[in-house]
Amino acid sequence: MMGYIIRRLATALIVVLGVAAIIFALLHWLAPSPAYDVLGAKAQPAAVASWNKLHGYDRPEIVQFFSYLGDLVHLNFGYSYKLSQSVSALFKENAGRSAYLTLAALLLSLIIAVPLGIMQAVRRNTFGDYTFTTLNFVLYSMPSFFLGLILIQFLALDWGVFPPTVSDSITTAWQAFDHPTQLALPIVTLAAINVASFSRYMRSSALDNLAQDYIRLARAKGLSQRAVLFHHLLRNACLPMITLIGLSIPTLLAGNLLTEYLFNYPGLGLLFYTALGNLDYNVLLAYVILGAILTVLGNLIADVAISIADPRVRLD
Amino acid sequence: MPAALEVDNLSTHIKLSRSTVQAVGNVSFGLDTHETVGLVGESGCGKSMLGLSILGLLPNGGHIIEGSIKLGDRELVGLPDADLRRLRGNEVAMIFQDSLSSLNPTKSIGKQVAEPVRLHRGASKKEAYDRALEVLELVGLPQPRERLRDFPHQLSGGLRQRVMIAIALACEPKVLLADEPTTALDVTIQAQILRLLDDLRDRLGMATLLITHDMGVVAGRTSRINVMYAGRIVESAETHELFTGMRHPYTQSLLGSIPRLEQDATKPLVSIPGLPPDLTNPPAGCRFAPRCSRATDQCRAQEPPLTGEDPNHLFACWHPVEGPINLTSQMRVVAERAAHLDVRALKPLLQIENAVREYPVTAGVLKRKVASVKAVSDVTLTVGEGEALGLVGESGCGKTTLGKLVVGIEKPDGGRIMLAGKEVFRNRGRALRLARRDLQMMFQDPYASLDPRMRVQASLREPLVVQGIGTAREQDQKMRTMLDEVGLPLSALERYPHEFSGGQRQRIALARALMLEPKVVVADEPVSALDVSIRSQVLNLMKRLQAEHGMASIVISHDLAVVKYLADRIGVMYLGKLVELGTGDDIYRRAAHPYTDALIKTIPVPDPAAESAKTEIAIRGELPSPITPPSGCRFRTRCPRAASICAEQEPPLRQFGPGHQAACHFPLQEAAPA
Amino acid sequence: MTEPEAPLLEGLGDAAGMPIGAPEGGEVQIIASGWNLALREFFDNKLAVVGLVVIVFFILFCFIGPLFDSTNQTLVNPLNTDLAPGGHYLLGTDEHGFDEFGRIMLGGQTALEIGFFAAAIATVLGTLWGAIAGLAGGLVDGIMMRIVDVLLSIPLLFLVLVLATKYSGTVVRLSLLIGLFSWLIPARLVRGEVLTLRTRDFVSASRVMGANRRRIVLRHLIPNALSVVIVNVTFQVADSILILAYIGFLGFGLQFPSTSWGDMLGGAQNYVTEGYWWLVYPVGGCLVVLVLATNLVGDALRDAFDVRLRRR
Repeated sequence: MMGYIIRRLATALIVVLGVAAIIFALLHWLAPSPAYDVLGAKAQPAAVASWNKLHGYDRPEIVQFFSYLGDLVHLNFGYSYKLSQSVSALFKENAGRSAYLTLAALLLSLIIAVPLGIMQAVRRNTFGDYTFTTLNFVLYSMPSFFLGLILIQFLALDWGVFPPTVSDSITTAWQAFDHPTQLALPIVTLAAINVASFSRYMRSSALDNLAQDYIRLARAKGLSQRAVLFHHLLRNACLPMITLIGLSIPTLLAGNLLTEYLFNYPGLGLLFYTALGNLDYNVLLAYVILGAILTVLGNLIADVAISIADPRVRLD
Repeated sequence: MPAALEVDNLSTHIKLSRSTVQAVGNVSFGLDTHETVGLVGESGCGKSMLGLSILGLLPNGGHIIEGSIKLGDRELVGLPDADLRRLRGNEVAMIFQDSLSSLNPTKSIGKQVAEPVRLHRGASKKEAYDRALEVLELVGLPQPRERLRDFPHQLSGGLRQRVMIAIALACEPKVLLADEPTTALDVTIQAQILRLLDDLRDRLGMATLLITHDMGVVAGRTSRINVMYAGRIVESAETHELFTGMRHPYTQSLLGSIPRLEQDATKPLVSIPGLPPDLTNPPAGCRFAPRCSRATDQCRAQEPPLTGEDPNHLFACWHPVEGPINLTSQMRVVAERAAHLDVRALKPLLQIENAVREYPVTAGVLKRKVASVKAVSDVTLTVGEGEALGLVGESGCGKTTLGKLVVGIEKPDGGRIMLAGKEVFRNRGRALRLARRDLQMMFQDPYASLDPRMRVQASLREPLVVQGIGTAREQDQKMRTMLDEVGLPLSALERYPHEFSGGQRQRIALARALMLEPKVVVADEPVSALDVSIRSQVLNLMKRLQAEHGMASIVISHDLAVVKYLADRIGVMYLGKLVELGTGDDIYRRAAHPYTDALIKTIPVPDPAAESAKTEIAIRGELPSPITPPSGCRFRTRCPRAASICAEQEPPLRQFGPGHQAACHFPLQEAAPA
Repeated sequence: MTEPEAPLLEGLGDAAGMPIGAPEGGEVQIIASGWNLALREFFDNKLAVVGLVVIVFFILFCFIGPLFDSTNQTLVNPLNTDLAPGGHYLLGTDEHGFDEFGRIMLGGQTALEIGFFAAAIATVLGTLWGAIAGLAGGLVDGIMMRIVDVLLSIPLLFLVLVLATKYSGTVVRLSLLIGLFSWLIPARLVRGEVLTLRTRDFVSASRVMGANRRRIVLRHLIPNALSVVIVNVTFQVADSILILAYIGFLGFGLQFPSTSWGDMLGGAQNYVTEGYWWLVYPVGGCLVVLVLATNLVGDALRDAFDVRLRRR
């Protein structure tokens, strides 16, 4: 097992290196030097050239790339000239809030999707199944912000149950946790789209498993339906979900971006949006690299988790 | 004393989205303690549904619509589910065919065996585990204590089946339903499991219902047999009486269609034309009438009841037969072909010399080769012109791989394959293409060997198009002729493969293999995937085409009787090695290698007298892994005659008669002088 | 022992000299051929038919509609901004004074165009990549799929947004942007399908009869892999329209006065708080319905092809 983890980490490293190369190339193409940001748009070419020389932006690309890599290793993601802070500091500030939102949404979507999917599979082709399948389809076809808008319209503006945007007084994850109504709508928005795809997979996986012979043997032992579902079906049907969660990380990050923007929640997503407007490429591309690292790590953790959960998968 | 299980006039229907399958109709039979009753029939005859009906485990849409099932003196039909559950796994238990998919892959063996004990006896965890250990020992699982924590995929098929039996026996049921318990197992393992079931029945006094399509399996172990066809029981008799004095034409034809080891290979097999009826719309009268040569209008109009003067022998037929078909009176199919092919007189056509094929086993991210599966190890064979060679063996013996080497789907890692003295697969381009005309193959899986997107005519024409033979009209003509020869109507040309049944697809595959008039045809398990009554159709066809076209063929099968019927000489393989080679008679009557002998002894034959006479278990233990085969003689780990030399030295092939060779240090026959 | 009344030698034909064919092999069930069967299964699925009708409706509505109901979509009309539906304006006007109903038609045009183009680019690229990787095998396959893995690690939306800051604004640019990053999934799918097909017996049978690689690829692999590709194209269209909506919503979509449905929702937060429901729900509704219809069609296609392959 350890050998596998080490080898996977090595592969992950290579992947991240590949991503870094692509990102660096993009960065270099889009914004080869922040000189204009610092000196102003109307700066003189001579001033720009000397600023570049001073800060190392005139070196050959390869050298700049390695220095960039070196920075990454030290967790130095660059500097945001627009916001006058190091990117790492910006990330640290916002990460906690974003993590809370994402994890809360993930947990909520799993709590709903797993039993829902199983129930749909067990009661296949009944009215309940059709209703939820239709609902899932609609949610799946909806851009997340549209759902958010609908929720804002009805639950916030019309009925006043929740606030339409997150109040400015919520600055830390703990505060968010303490004031559930503040984050209720963003969490539900982010969770809803995931519920749609998770429960679809769960239903499909549960159906596949229900058709398996071991379910029939479990029944032949005299187990009640509930016992069969709990002690036999649940674990086997959930196995593909582990992989799915790993694969959903990019979607969660994207959803995070849109939700934070919509509800004005100061997290990494909103930071990204601001950077888009500012053309703050250091932040933008650092975000992309972070996203890539999270994705790769997420898949690695999912693979290891599967090997623990499924005895048929032996990693050596 | 009431019977352990009494089924009376049971009917089960399965409601599908657009139709209703009348799976089981008016079935009645009984089961006593200490008794094994056989329930035989082909796929789709309803035997499995009957078993599931008894347990109340019908699939979605399945209902018992009439009849009664009595367990002892308790009526099961109409019983509320909670009560039925108390009986399942407790008083009535069932084992299924596929042990790999029937066991929960993520639960340990111990937990799964202990589960019914905890459920029905309210045992604590420790008590249940103790009982699990006890019952695993009872079923002969080696090292049961260590196995408790293992998972199903870590065990071999035979061991898993023992676990499934253990689960069924954990609460000492009165009735055991065994649905195809050994069908998925190798022949030698099959014998062990069947023996085990007999033992357990004797010791525990269970009433056992043995559900299977294999007449050989029921021949020696049952006291009564019920034959099912299209959802009905068509004949019910004591075992001996059924085999020697059957009354129903279906039983007669079914038994006549099974190739036997002692059968005269020049005679055709009894063949049942057509296909079983569609149970969503069964025929009005006797359900077997459309395929029965004795059917009259009465048969087609009215369904015969299950009756008989002797209450122990019931049958449902208006014009019953009396006993088996007299095979000696039939015309020979292969009159021209000499009954005993003189092997030495044939010109050698295909020569396999020291063929080796190993598959690498990789591990890790970099896919380094850590071991290899030794599929074929140093096999030397010669096939003469027009000769039919059979290759027989259990899983992992390498016979399929050897077939692939012969037609060039795989390249040998060592040795040579030569056709008419030339190593054909060394050629490239056009020369290779021309050489391929002479070596064709008929594949095992009728559902995968035809391109689902191509019509039959395109599939049949393809060999000619690829080889550039004939004009379009000539190709057309050849297709029609070939289709005719394999017994399919011309309308088949326009159809797609999925519109045909398995047997029909095999005919198409055979036709395609013969389009190029090859010199050698390799048939890989040609009938294994087909229903019993369809097999004889295809076997007869192959026999006839073999005689008419005169090509050499290699027939690969795990079924020795099939191979013996089709082949002049038979090669027996074990774990990649050729252990014996000889004519059908040599193999059957004068086997020299202990493995061949064991195979013949363990293969279930549809002959009750012969089956009952089998006393000892001819072969013990499990098949070793082909990744690490035993040193020296690979069979030594299971051979009753093994001695130390067997581990040190690989036995060479020695002569035992004209064309009869075997590789053994302690053969069962006297070797011929060098 | 009885003598059988009719000869049992099916192989040689019966006594009456009837041809060997018809009954011995059994009747051939006529289930309808190949693509016809798939089409029939597809049209049996009522939802799928509805989906197809909806897609056709939107195409007609967005492209032909303006011919019947042409409205001003280029000149800003500051006098008529944010009018509620009624009178002259079926769905009111937006903040530029444009007729909302007409704007939806215009927005739909770009959504459909970009959706289809991006899907086409992604599918063509992905299919080629995956097919080559699957056929080549070995090192080439390894390298090609590692590249796919690396690119898949990058969250799609972010990359597209970053590039949209510099390269966006027109239908062509957006189609390329979305398409050039959506080919990864089809590549994986096609490669998987090719690998599976390669090991199938009917491909082996072709090799045994002497077919060369080209023939196997063209006549056997491609037609069989086609169903996967067709299903995937449909889902790609749905996904592309959604991504476009996200890009537009965040403000990086089309150049004014062009618009897409996503762009139209860019100011939706304001619209909602101000109560301009006609600027939010009709557009959003159209978006959801179109994507839903496309997903339904894709699902039904997948089921239709599956049934055909599995029917025995």
